[in-house]
Amino acid sequence: MKENTTIEPALFCGNEAIGEAAIQAGCRAYFGYPITPQNELTAYMAKRMGEEGRVFIQSESELAAISMVFGAAAAGERAMTSSSSPGVSLKQEGISYLAGCELPAVIVNMSRGGPGLGNIGPAQADYYQSTRGGGHGDYRTPVLAGASVQELADLTFLAFDIADRYRTPTLILGDGILGQMMEPAVITHPEPTELPAKDWTLTGSRGRPPRSIKSLYLGPGELEAHNRKLQEVYRTISETEVRWESLMTEDASLVLVAYGITARICREVVFRLRKEGLPVGLLRPITLWPFPDKAIRELSRTAEKFLSVEMNFGQMVDDVRLAVNGNCPVEFFGHGGGEILTGAEIMEAARGHLPR
Amino acid sequence: MALNLKELSKKPELLSPGHRACAGCGSVIAIRQALMAVEGPVVVGFATGCMEVSTTIYPYTSWRIPYIHDAFENAAATISGVETAFRSLKKQGKIKGDMKFIAFGGDGGTYDIGLQSLSGALERGHDFLYICYNNGAYMNTGIQRSSATPFCAATTTSPAGEVVPGKAQFPKDLTAIVAAHHVPYAAQASPHNWRDYIGKVKKALAIEGPTFINVIASCFRGWRTEPTTSIDIVKMAVETCFWPLYEVENGEYKLNYKPKEKLPIEEWIKVQGRFKHLLDEKYKPLREEFQANVDQEWAALLEKTGDQVQKVAV
Repeated sequence: MKENTTIEPALFCGNEAIGEAAIQAGCRAYFGYPITPQNELTAYMAKRMGEEGRVFIQSESELAAISMVFGAAAAGERAMTSSSSPGVSLKQEGISYLAGCELPAVIVNMSRGGPGLGNIGPAQADYYQSTRGGGHGDYRTPVLAGASVQELADLTFLAFDIADRYRTPTLILGDGILGQMMEPAVITHPEPTELPAKDWTLTGSRGRPPRSIKSLYLGPGELEAHNRKLQEVYRTISETEVRWESLMTEDASLVLVAYGITARICREVVFRLRKEGLPVGLLRPITLWPFPDKAIRELSRTAEKFLSVEMNFGQMVDDVRLAVNGNCPVEFFGHGGGEILTGAEIMEAARGHLPR
Repeated sequence: MALNLKELSKKPELLSPGHRACAGCGSVIAIRQALMAVEGPVVVGFATGCMEVSTTIYPYTSWRIPYIHDAFENAAATISGVETAFRSLKKQGKIKGDMKFIAFGGDGGTYDIGLQSLSGALERGHDFLYICYNNGAYMNTGIQRSSATPFCAATTTSPAGEVVPGKAQFPKDLTAIVAAHHVPYAAQASPHNWRDYIGKVKKALAIEGPTFINVIASCFRGWRTEPTTSIDIVKMAVETCFWPLYEVENGEYKLNYKPKEKLPIEEWIKVQGRFKHLLDEKYKPLREEFQANVDQEWAALLEKTGDQVQKVAV
């Protein structure tokens, strides 16, 4: 079996890059179900997991796929599933159970236009669902949002590590463009990080005391105590796993906030407006939860305005407002319906919001 | 109306031209033929799939009749709701006359993710016909295997390579699963035998209670065949006894067609690109296994039908 394989720069679509990175990260079991625009990932795993002597199963539904992940994770293996928006909605019960049972898993959402069947174009309309704990109960899941094929691969390695470190389901959030566009990427396993021993797995209790993994707590105060423990983990994640990238924000009057493919377009917008001498910068959250609120709060002391740019009708803007906490105005620009924002329209919006 | 081509050709088509299905699509043929059997008001419910997407690209629709779609796994549940509302309105005297309800789903939306919903509707006993247009894979999303995909067929999620010869499993017998719900009528059909198929739809619609037809529908993209052979290829599926035409009426099995000379399954395999790898000499045992399975299923069916061919009576 090939672990830590180095691969020369090669063309991957985002979906395939995640698949290859997952295999190198030691994903032993992948469970998929057809839905556009993430089918390349399932097809890649169908071919590659077999070659590696690992498990690939196409399930009979998204519900089954996430439950298979639950089973594999409880047995201690690195497990992954992927889907797109409507399919991820179906997985929410399973994600809630994974969170309640403290089981590590990686869930990929190559999101598309919604609500309902929507369309198969790119969208960022699942921000709320991803960052608030999309299923029932009081939980959060780390959400990693890449902006390039390379970064999707890099974040896949990180997702498995975060999942194992904190025993939590971890989301990779992309969109139809990131999943299907092709870019050169070098997919190599980063230096392995030290992870806590998996001393909780259900692998047969011969020679050791039996263990249990559950989310059912019926005794008075038991569930509260369990939930407090989960909240403690979420607090630690919020303190240690925040990631973001900033571009020319030091002297920016207007700070754009954007993630994923939208951030990529905003980067170009910043370069162009800077050429015109306009003081614009970009803050790109890489983790959507935990959100880089401290970085944004810090910037709100020098910036005059924030503009949240999203492929939806305004979701992340809520988190920007919470971070800014009234220090300066926070505006929104975007639209959603499975269509990508253009640089020209973002430029126009940014110009309109620049302090005169 | 008599069941002959002259009369059928006079009937207005309920699915209008201009939809975006592929030229040579076997599923469209299966749906148009089913609709030819309809007399009077009908409501169609659809599961997500090729035929749903290609016939209803917003803001257009090819449907000249009331049509409802909501998700992938629930066509039978959605039509249950519509049919229940109709019964309620009728009971209240707010609506008069009779109405038929047909739910369509592909094999992915019926054999796999929609099976629970279908089972629920059959057990509750709604007055509807469910037609599964079975092209043997998730063709809408790019040819992924389903539990209806034939043994050894290559799909993007059951790829044929040097070690693995495509899909490892035989398809589940959905028609038998439906029959096990003790519904008044369940049948298998093929569009090449339009008289048999349309007759079955007529019969099913005339029956009160849940009825089911599993119709084989070729997909030249997924089967890797020529679009001009869409009808020939399903005919061959019947002639090889891979897809027998039969019906189960109140628990009684009737065979509707018996090939004069049962063709070897290899005849069907060799004209489809999805089985190309199987023609390799090293896979001869798999071809034999495929044939043995067809023979076994065919024999089991003849056991149930009593080996008598009975034409569909309408």
